[in-house]
Amino acid sequence: MVQSTSAKKSLQTTLEVPVLRRKYYAQTLDDSQKGKKVAWCSNNIPSEILDAMDVTGVFLENYATVIASKRLGSGFCAAGEKVGFSQDVCGYARMLMGYVLAKNDAPEAPYGGLAKPDFLLVSANSCDSRLGWFSAMSSVLNTPLYVYDSPSQPDGASNSLVVAEHIETELRNLISFLEKQTGNKFNPDKVRRRMDISRQTSEIMYEISQLRKAVPSPMGSADMFTAVWPSMYLSGTKECEDFYKRLRAEMEERIARKIGIVPEERFRIMWSGIPFWYDMQLINYVENFGGVVALESFYRVRERRIPSQHDDPIKDMALTAVRQHGYPSGISGSIEDLLEAVEEYKINGVILSYNPSCRMLLISQTELQKALEDRGIPTLGLECDMADERTYSEGQVKTRMDAFVERLLAKNS
Amino acid sequence: MLTAGIDVGSSTSKAVILQDNKILSYSIIPTSAESADSAQRAFDKALDKTQFISPDDIHWIIATGYGRVVVTFAKETVTELSCHVKGANWLFPSVRTVLDMGGQDCKAIKCDGQGRLLNFTMNDKCAAGTGRFFELIAKVMDLPLSDIGELSLETDDEVRMSSTCAVFGKSEVASLMRQGRNKSDILGGVHTAVSDRIVTLLRRVGITPDLAITGGIARNIGIVKRVEKRVGCRALIPEEPQIIGALGAALFARDRASRN
Ligand code: SF4
Repeated sequence: MVQSTSAKKSLQTTLEVPVLRRKYYAQTLDDSQKGKKVAWCSNNIPSEILDAMDVTGVFLENYATVIASKRLGSGFCAAGEKVGFSQDVCGYARMLMGYVLAKNDAPEAPYGGLAKPDFLLVSANSCDSRLGWFSAMSSVLNTPLYVYDSPSQPDGASNSLVVAEHIETELRNLISFLEKQTGNKFNPDKVRRRMDISRQTSEIMYEISQLRKAVPSPMGSADMFTAVWPSMYLSGTKECEDFYKRLRAEMEERIARKIGIVPEERFRIMWSGIPFWYDMQLINYVENFGGVVALESFYRVRERRIPSQHDDPIKDMALTAVRQHGYPSGISGSIEDLLEAVEEYKINGVILSYNPSCRMLLISQTELQKALEDRGIPTLGLECDMADERTYSEGQVKTRMDAFVERLLAKNS
Repeated sequence: MLTAGIDVGSSTSKAVILQDNKILSYSIIPTSAESADSAQRAFDKALDKTQFISPDDIHWIIATGYGRVVVTFAKETVTELSCHVKGANWLFPSVRTVLDMGGQDCKAIKCDGQGRLLNFTMNDKCAAGTGRFFELIAKVMDLPLSDIGELSLETDDEVRMSSTCAVFGKSEVASLMRQGRNKSDILGGVHTAVSDRIVTLLRRVGITPDLAITGGIARNIGIVKRVEKRVGCRALIPEEPQIIGALGAALFARDRASRN
């Protein structure tokens, strides 16, 4: 049985996140009580637009990680299975369907539960399970659903303007949907203000990514898996920007004073994929051997934020989405990106999580692992669900981690 | 110099006492519910066999296996993955790939010319690819475990197993028995299904010759022959395949002791 839960953090600034997160969820409940419209959202729904429409967003994937990191994932998954969702369905979806349909069978919900939704917003980007999950929720809750289609561009696509036009149409449709649901008028100035702050914050995030190249590592993934939260859910707020300014300052100070995560850094690991939220101390595990998980695949900001693309904020948003080099899409792009990160961040080995219930990621992980091994970069694949700890055996995972470290050290000896 | 390796596995606990470059004695005992106690008993038994060595004479002890952390009298631990290649490569210096199948897991491991761990892949989630599965099958067919491998080769009409999950596999075998199917044909099907799984595991790390097979499964000729046929090379089988992990641990202990 797993004993540990949250990762041991090394930076003071990171410790602010749980407080911010709790405050955020309390605020959503409060907003709902005061009659503000609540949207249950998937990731990738622009919070700048929600804010400009005076809508409170509750992000379900994030809530799923909250449940899982409190080690309640299996209880919620089992509740979801009880109402008919197979164990093969995405762990996040199973948990939230359990929450919606079988509250009495599920454990007590963290943060006092979620504010009741007035409508649902899902992004059709990259994951089909999410679409099915939100459609199912829309029908059982009898709440309207808007599907925001913002396609990822395949590697080497040359139709970016067509895609930008499509995204712009989708954003305008989203706004019309929200206007209809809330009776509020869209406020372009408000969106612009938040986008400006988002841009500045992204710039800081880029600098943070650069600072993480330092040896010894000034901030590893044990911190980043938490520290990324404001950028995902408070994007475009002063609170968010200030948080990253403090984080950057703390990292700069650590670099100047050569303070690493471990006293003598012997090797650096990268974590690829979703972590196992119920045992985040696994990220710290290599520290026992002088190693550090110095980088994760998701949260590296790859390039400086591009300047504003248009005076119209919606056009600007759409053009930025296609012109900014974000997370790579497509297998060959991901492989190239991973190899670049390994090089730049002086990574000695990569741990890849295989979450069988997230088929979106599962397929590419195999290819990534093969590409790394082919180039002589040691890898370790760990197969467990990200939320359902019934799939996790601590002893078996630790044996693999131990052997992986032995392999790395044998290679370096 | 005397060193020891203790391998606490899920089914059996093993100890090897090494004098420099020579195996002095070894023991294999069933692992009881108390793994720490099993480790101690395996160690005592190996010491007893030497008739003259006491625990204090041993310079360094390394524990391995799934129960390695409970062996309090060991100086340190090394995983069974590293120990198996170390032991196999010491016995057969040409070995670059090791297939180890124990009671509860199955591993494919690659090493370099010095027996250093290069890569590995494991199946420990599914009982159908482990020694435990064969125990279940032998029991359901009312045959001694030691006979089933040989019998599995005496078929020219083996059944096709529709499932290789241990639980379903067991009931499928029971129902084939009820239908009066020949035992060798059933066993042929079971061994083929497991061999296919093993070979998939081996292919995931890549098979570089020579290949050695260790663990209890190395005694099952039905598996050895089928794996050899599928991978297209002969497998090296240690005389005592179950002690390779403990041997590797004793060899690591020797290396550490001479460094300290
Ligand atoms: S399947 Fe994967 S990408 Fe899709 S919602 Fe679940 S975890 Fe996210």
